[in-house]
Amino acid sequence: MTGNTTILVSVILFSIVLIAWLVLRPSITATRGGKMLAFVALLVFPVLAGGMGVNQHIERSKTTNFCLSCHVMEDYGKSLRVDDRSFIPATHFQYNLVPRDKACYTCHTDYTMYGDVSAKLRGLKHVYIYYLGKPSQPIKLYNPYNNRECLHCHLGARSFEESEAHTKDPQTLPRIKANQLTCSTSGCHNIIHNVGQLKDATFWKEPAQ
Amino acid sequence: MKIQSPKIERRIRQAGILLIAGLLVELVTLRWSRPTAFLFFLLLGGALMAVGIIIYLFSLVSAESKPPAE
Repeated sequence: MTGNTTILVSVILFSIVLIAWLVLRPSITATRGGKMLAFVALLVFPVLAGGMGVNQHIERSKTTNFCLSCHVMEDYGKSLRVDDRSFIPATHFQYNLVPRDKACYTCHTDYTMYGDVSAKLRGLKHVYIYYLGKPSQPIKLYNPYNNRECLHCHLGARSFEESEAHTKDPQTLPRIKANQLTCSTSGCHNIIHNVGQLKDATFWKEPAQ
Repeated sequence: MKIQSPKIERRIRQAGILLIAGLLVELVTLRWSRPTAFLFFLLLGGALMAVGIIIYLFSLVSAESKPPAE
């Protein structure tokens, strides 16, 4: 249990104890002190616990385990462990280029002002389709992958700015940065999850910590 | 000391029970790391807590106290 979860569980348990006291002895709210206690127990603590709970669930929804808990995501999870550096997500995952516990979220959120909010709203839509609809097979992105998400980390990095493939033509880098030449579909970094190729692939085993 | 009407006490008790149920739902969903946990938390736990808080607030605005017993 993380520190935040421990604090949240403590707040919830403390709230339950206070509320249970009021449920068993509601007559104490006749006094001024009892009214203040009721206000804290029946309004302040539940609102606090609810707000912390929302935050906790949103943080959990960013984890790789959370994303891979849906059946349709299984192959995408496997693709993170393909022992082949040409698979872009696998390289990012295995070489710690993205945090492993938030691998999906790191590449699939929009790095814009309301990127987190729109990612979560899309997530709710996914849950709806997963349980009440029919997910498309294979799953597809809503929009072509934006270079902005790659440049969030790679922009300014020497490996990116001075790469021979990026500098041979002086127009390449400006076009990548302007999202006119896509990183993932222009014939350069175009092996992404490719779940159709996993049948014959070998997989990397993460060493036990 | 003022004596409260049994109606207010009943509302406080109802609000408390709903809030405890909502908090227990929240506690249980914290054990899962799946999308259904978030839905249960939001739709069931959130609804129970919201109704509990509304009942409590309603008990405040409709509070009537009887004069002290002679």
